[in-house]
Amino acid sequence: MKKGIVLFVVLCLLVPTLLFSAGKKESDQITIAFCFQDLETEFWVAGHKAITESLRENGIRVIEKNANEDANRQLEQVKDVITQGVDGIIIIPQDGESAVTIAKTANAAGVPIGIFNRPPSDKSAKNLVVVANNEVIAEAAVEHMAQEAMKLGRKVYPAIMVGDLGDPNAVGRRQGFMNVMAKYPELWAAPPVEIPTKWDANVALANLQSAMQANPKIDFLFTSSDFLFPVIKSVLAPLNKWVKINNPNHVILGGLDGDVTAAQLLEEGYLDATGVQNLFYEADVMLEAMLAAIKAGDKTPDKWMDDPGFALTQANLATRAEEMWGWVLYKEKK
Amino acid sequence: METNRLVKFVLKNSTAVLFVLIFIMFGLIAPRFFTAKNFQNIMSNASYIGIIAVGMTFVLLTGGIDLSVGSTMYLSAVVCGKLINEAGLPVFPAVMVSLLVGLMVGAVNAFAITRLRLVPFITTLITQTIARGFGLFITRSVAVNYPDSVTLMSTSKVLGFIPLQIFIFLMVVLLASIVLNRTRYGRQLYAVGNDLESAKKAGIKSDRLIASTYMISGLLAALGGFVTITQIGRVNAGFGSGDEFDAIAAAVLGGASLFGGIGTVFPGTVLGTVMIEMIQAGLVFANIDIYIQPIIMAAIIFSAVFIDSVRTTQIKKLERRNILKV
Repeated sequence: MKKGIVLFVVLCLLVPTLLFSAGKKESDQITIAFCFQDLETEFWVAGHKAITESLRENGIRVIEKNANEDANRQLEQVKDVITQGVDGIIIIPQDGESAVTIAKTANAAGVPIGIFNRPPSDKSAKNLVVVANNEVIAEAAVEHMAQEAMKLGRKVYPAIMVGDLGDPNAVGRRQGFMNVMAKYPELWAAPPVEIPTKWDANVALANLQSAMQANPKIDFLFTSSDFLFPVIKSVLAPLNKWVKINNPNHVILGGLDGDVTAAQLLEEGYLDATGVQNLFYEADVMLEAMLAAIKAGDKTPDKWMDDPGFALTQANLATRAEEMWGWVLYKEKK
Repeated sequence: METNRLVKFVLKNSTAVLFVLIFIMFGLIAPRFFTAKNFQNIMSNASYIGIIAVGMTFVLLTGGIDLSVGSTMYLSAVVCGKLINEAGLPVFPAVMVSLLVGLMVGAVNAFAITRLRLVPFITTLITQTIARGFGLFITRSVAVNYPDSVTLMSTSKVLGFIPLQIFIFLMVVLLASIVLNRTRYGRQLYAVGNDLESAKKAGIKSDRLIASTYMISGLLAALGGFVTITQIGRVNAGFGSGDEFDAIAAAVLGGASLFGGIGTVFPGTVLGTVMIEMIQAGLVFANIDIYIQPIIMAAIIFSAVFIDSVRTTQIKKLERRNILKV
């Protein structure tokens, strides 16, 4: 009986390994490891797709590693791919701190490393960094919301759904929102209500409900990520505040990412603006810089590349929608 | 004598006393906190974690632990969503299948712990990874959206005034309380948790009992997963991550011991769950700096657990003095 169980367990371990294992590395082919923290939102799924497709289209062998939101695991995975002798590494780090540690590990091993979309917390390591300017993009989206608020001819009650405070992107987006708050002090009826979400839909739901209960007059809401729109809908709908833009009960609504849901809400007229990160541009410039470093034999390339991004609003929807990655996916789905 | 009795009462009901104190404190800071609507929101948001925490209480009572509940939630919710969206199955059978998935994960845990004699911590850590892995394999990490027929459930009311998710939570609590307090199964569970060897000598089939708790935990994790998707309408790859710790915290805050044999579903786990949700809501109501909120939250939970840990000693001391006086 025991032998049978042991045999069963061994088979369970072996079969998937043999079925899903990759082939041997071809010696003349460039190999790049792509280590991402997880694919928890549409944004990261699209980012993953943009990078892996760009790499494979260029004849590059890709080793993919998913850290499942564990920074330590990601560090181990990076050490593992270094041992495998990869030519370069691209990571989407779990947070800014771990990005620095991982980049220093790659620096020590002499493997070029690129950090995608989530910036390191300091510049002590040498790495290629492509990152959206979250503060500027958020500010652009909130600026449009403020302009819409001014048209109402009265003061409004602002609120922001803040992301994980350990994530530099969340901090940058909050700062962009606060910049607009400071720019138009006469527009706000009360100081902004800050609603923590920790990038978790359940936390966001509970806290948004509490915020709306405590401050029922909130009529200007910015979410630091578009993936929270279904949560916002489930809170605002029972309050009769999930209505289209021209309705007097409309809550002026903005987000950031430019995902599929945001595209749909913009088209349907529920959403006023969303900040857009140009994923396709980010993937292209990262790949270009990484290949240039590998070809030049540069083991520790150090370059910071900004994605200026933009805000897609009801005002420029007709002219700029095609630049938003979520819009392209939305139209494909449709 | 009267003071002694009062101190004993407070110590014996420390969680409930703390609960009331926190409720009053936030109510004084933000008067809107006292509204019925707010309490309904708190209960509603606490429902899903409460359901999972009830399952966790069963496991904790036997001295075990179940770290796979967050991933079970994810896997069962994914299966439910895929069956509705892609297989075109009606909601009810899809939910039944997803509950079966939860039960199966629980059965795997039960088998490994009671038959292969693996340690619960390691076993459930492994099933945590496997269940999430299966979920990610099915979805390829893409979020699963649920149709309006599912999300509208969160606004439906039972008997015209009880939100569905609260009703499900209350039913789970009622059933679990009856099972633990009024049945032989419940008494045997406490016996196994208190002293496994003595329970075995008394003829209790401890393996069966322990196995059943993991299956209950898996089933309730799947049910909790469904309750929360009716509210948020979407499941992404991070869904349920870390919820196992919230469930454990709720049960322990409600007086359950990590070493087994001690704990109640009502009032214990229910109070623990609602208290965590209430503190979070109170911090938002009070508009406290978002950088300070986690510190306050942790401090309150630490105080509650600390009070709970010293109360047993204090009660014994007080009772010893009474015996001496007599």
